[in-house]
Formats: sequence, C-alpha cells, structure tokens
Amino acid sequence: MPESIDFQRLLEMFQYDRFDPLLFGTSLFLFFFLAVLIVYRVFAKHNALRIYSLIFFSLFFYYKAANYFVALLLFSSILNFYSGKFIFKAASQNIKRLILTSTVIINLGILVYFKYTNFLIETIMSITGGEFEPLRILLPIGISFYTFKAMSYIVEIYFEMIEPTDSFRDFTLFIFFFPNLLMGPIDKASTFIPQIEKEYNLTNKEIGLAVFLICSGLIKKYVIADYVSLNFTDRVFEFPLRFTGVENLLAVYGATMAGYCDFSGYTDLALAVGLLLGFKMIDNFNRPFKANSIADYWRRWHISLSTWLLGYLFRPLQISLRNLKNYGTAIAIFVTFFAVGLWHGPNWTFIVFGLLHSTYLIFSMSTQKYRDAFYTKIGIKGSKGLRAFQIFFTFNIIAFTSILFRTPSLEYFSNMLSQIFTYFHGEVLFQYIEAYPIIIVLLVFAYLMHFTPDSWEKKTVEILSKTPVLLQAVVLAVVIWFVVQFKSAELQPFIYFKF
Amino acid sequence: MISDKLKSVLNKELNLSDFNFTEETTANQVPGWDSLNHINIILAIEKEYNTKFKGIEILRVKNLGDLQRLIDSKTAQ
Repeated sequence: MPESIDFQRLLEMFQYDRFDPLLFGTSLFLFFFLAVLIVYRVFAKHNALRIYSLIFFSLFFYYKAANYFVALLLFSSILNFYSGKFIFKAASQNIKRLILTSTVIINLGILVYFKYTNFLIETIMSITGGEFEPLRILLPIGISFYTFKAMSYIVEIYFEMIEPTDSFRDFTLFIFFFPNLLMGPIDKASTFIPQIEKEYNLTNKEIGLAVFLICSGLIKKYVIADYVSLNFTDRVFEFPLRFTGVENLLAVYGATMAGYCDFSGYTDLALAVGLLLGFKMIDNFNRPFKANSIADYWRRWHISLSTWLLGYLFRPLQISLRNLKNYGTAIAIFVTFFAVGLWHGPNWTFIVFGLLHSTYLIFSMSTQKYRDAFYTKIGIKGSKGLRAFQIFFTFNIIAFTSILFRTPSLEYFSNMLSQIFTYFHGEVLFQYIEAYPIIIVLLVFAYLMHFTPDSWEKKTVEILSKTPVLLQAVVLAVVIWFVVQFKSAELQPFIYFKF
Repeated sequence: MISDKLKSVLNKELNLSDFNFTEETTANQVPGWDSLNHINIILAIEKEYNTKFKGIEILRVKNLGDLQRLIDSKTAQ
C-alpha cells in the first residue's frame, strides 16, 4: 500500500518559512524551477501569459523567503515606476532633479530603516553613554539588491540613457525577476527590459552555457565553499587564538577562495536560471584574483555593484569636485568605498574594509607615475615577472583585507594578524596537510582553475554546446552526484544573503 | 566627425601617438582612459576650448560623438 500523502506537509512547503527559502541547489527549488520551465514552455508563444506567469512565480519565490515583505517589493516597484515617468516628463532640469532626489531619499530611507537603525542608535548611544536596547527589525531579504536595481532605473532616466517603459507589467518583472532578486546581479533596466518581449527561443550555445554555469555553480558553492568553510575556515575564524599562525594564514587564503566560490557560485546558478528563461544578465565576476592592481580587482569583483557605484556615485562626485583635480578624485574614491563598506552591513568591520580599499586606491593613483618611471628605469615595465609579482601582491592585500568580511569584530582581525606574525609555527603545515588532505586538494584545485586561461572556459562551453542533449544530461547528473557526496547535511546559507 | 583639435587633446593627455578616434569610440576602448584618469581628460578639454561643462552634460556623454557635439554646442554659443 502506498503511503497516503501528507497534505499538511505539502501545504507547508508552499508557505513562508524563515529558515527554508527556495535556495538554488535545493530539491524544492529544482521542482519549483521545473514547474516554471514547463509553464514557460507551454506559454512560449503567448507573450502576456508567459510574462505574467514569470511575475507570479517571482512573487511566490520572494514570499517564500520574505513573507509579508512582498508588499515592500510592490511599493518599490510603484514608487520607481511612476518616479521614472515623472522625471522624464518634467519640464525643467530642477524639477527632474527634485523628483530624482526625493525618490532616492525614500529608497535609501527604507533601506536605512531596515538595515541600519540599530547600528545608528547603538553608535549614538555609545557616544552619549546611554543604554542601548536593540529594536526588533527583521531585514527583508534581498533589499539592498532590489533597491539598487530600482534606483538604477530612475538614475538612467535622469541621465537620459533610457526612456521610461510604459508597461508597469514589464517594470515589475524587472524588479521581481527571481533569479537575481535575492543576491543580484544588480541588472540595469536598459539591458533587461528590452529582453522581456523577445521571443522565447533557446540556442544550443545558450543551453551549453547554462549547463556549464550550473555545473560550475554547484561545484563552487557546494563542493568548495561549503566544505572548506564548514570543515576548516569557520573554525579558525571563530577561535583564531586556538590555532597557529600557519593555520590562520591557510584559513585566510581558504576563506578568500571560499568566499569567492560562495558568491560567484550563486551568481553562476542565477545566470543559468535566467538564461534558461531567455534572459541574459550582467556577469558579476571575471576571475578577480587575476587582478594586478586594486583598481583592476574592482573591475573583476561584484561587477554589477562596482559599475553601479562607479556610474551613479563615484563619477557624479568626481565631476562635481573636478576643480580640486586629484584631490577631488581622492574624495570621490573615499566616499564611494565608504558606501561599499556600509552597503555590506551595519558593522565597523565593513566600514574599515571600505576605508582600507579606498586608501589602497588613492595610494595607487598618486604613486602610479613614479612607479611607472621606476619600472621603466630598471627595465621591467610590461614584463611578465612584474605582472606576476603585482598579481601576487594584490591578491595578498585582498586576502588580508577580506578577513574583515568574516570576523565579527575588529578584535578578531587583530588576533588573526598577531597569530600569523608572532606565532607562525610553519612546521605544523605538514601535519595539517596529512590530517586534512581533502581541504588542501580542494583549495589547490580551486586556485588552479581560477588561474587557467579564460579561453579554456570558452572552449568548454563551445564543446558543451555541440554535445547532444542526452550527453549534457549525463554530465549534469555526474556533477550532481559528485556534489551530493560533498554536500553537508545542513545547508549553508549563501554569505551574501545577509547583505 | 571628431575634430583634429579634440583628437590632439586626447592623444596628448593619454600619451598616445595617433589613436583612431571615431564617433562610436567609448572611453573603455581607449588605452589609459580609465575612471581615475577621466577627470584629467575633461579638465584638459575644458581648458583647451576655454569652456565649462555642467556635471549632468558630462554624465550624459556616452561616446566621443556625444562629446564632440557637446563641445560644438558650447563653442557655438
């Protein structure tokens, strides 16, 4: 006798559960996505039905993760949709600016309320010496991402880069679109909205790319990021003083790679899901550890956020301060990276992270001329050796600054550094390798893959595109089987969910 | 058409010998024209043409064609 269906449990699966959002990579998501794809395929020729079904699924997806905050998502859409229209129609530049400024203030006001209220009160209280009782404010998941996405729309209209869309339906799909709703990439209206009405038709190349992205996303997230964090780096970051300097150093390098794999693994999955629904989104990563300067790093890491801040904060500031020449640029860098730090959350560690990065950039900018002259003089400018050294040096600066991303307070940061510099004990390395060979193999593999030529990736996608569907399915099945072997019993949330 | 005068300002400011600037050229296609250097180029153009752009005018420029038209509109006044 087959067991009877537990309808109660079935119903619960469709209800909001704070601890059980539809994470990419879970079996529930897989069923959800299959249902979306089937409905999508059925409605392929009926544009309106296809688009409405995607809006409906996206709303359900957000409800599963954020419950009644769906209302906030709706409010954000209405606010920015009409604001965009009014900016476009406004008769004078002053009125345009007034509407833009007030909409940005409302957008940021909501973000600040949910994300920073407690931090602000705590900071004020620590100055005035008052008692601090944190308020119970739940953070609507994904708020930083969709607020920035919505703001890009009104800023692009203000800069006359796009005209507002007449379709509220299309605009809501741009804001709600579930593949990039919770953790980016922060897409722009100018590239996303024109794709909505496009006929739904997947090419072999797109399918090949999607298969590649799913495989790489699953491996990055579930094999490398989760395994390395759970079994190694989290433990060291929790109690740095219990470990020797060499273990702390390994944890720094391990967490740098695991952090990248977590976020870029998620992005790969998001891109693949988007692609299978017929949408190309902006990529967020371009092998960031290959960067040979900090400026280069920010062109390769979280690209959608850095281009957003570059276009809408840094450049306007830089232009309005241009009479101060390089000092104006330095102030613009400083403010932008303060925002980068704060964007990640209400914690001094993030603010120090942003300030350090701005210091590196300002230093790099002001010494560039002298360094170039020096390299030319000693005959190494443009040499491979110099480039390799710059990559190594940049990577170490990034790795050490990223400690701030994972430590709960500045004290932990200094503890880790003091262990590395005063209690190194290099001999422990060999014992460590013997005791934890899988961690070492995974990290070496991840770093090797990261530094392979970009053309290898293109070639792999090309081969996958020409592979028959059945074989693609076999590849996918093998990767999934492999991932399941590594997957921890408890799912690890993506690090960037908290931003 | 990008004027010879503008081409010469850009070549000089970016230390290039004779880059092929067209109407469609965007900053990221030109070696050395990065976001940090951007402001020095704008300042050099303002100095050369003895004009002052509004912030929003510069932000709306998408390519060299736009920049040339902006300069033309300023110098025609």
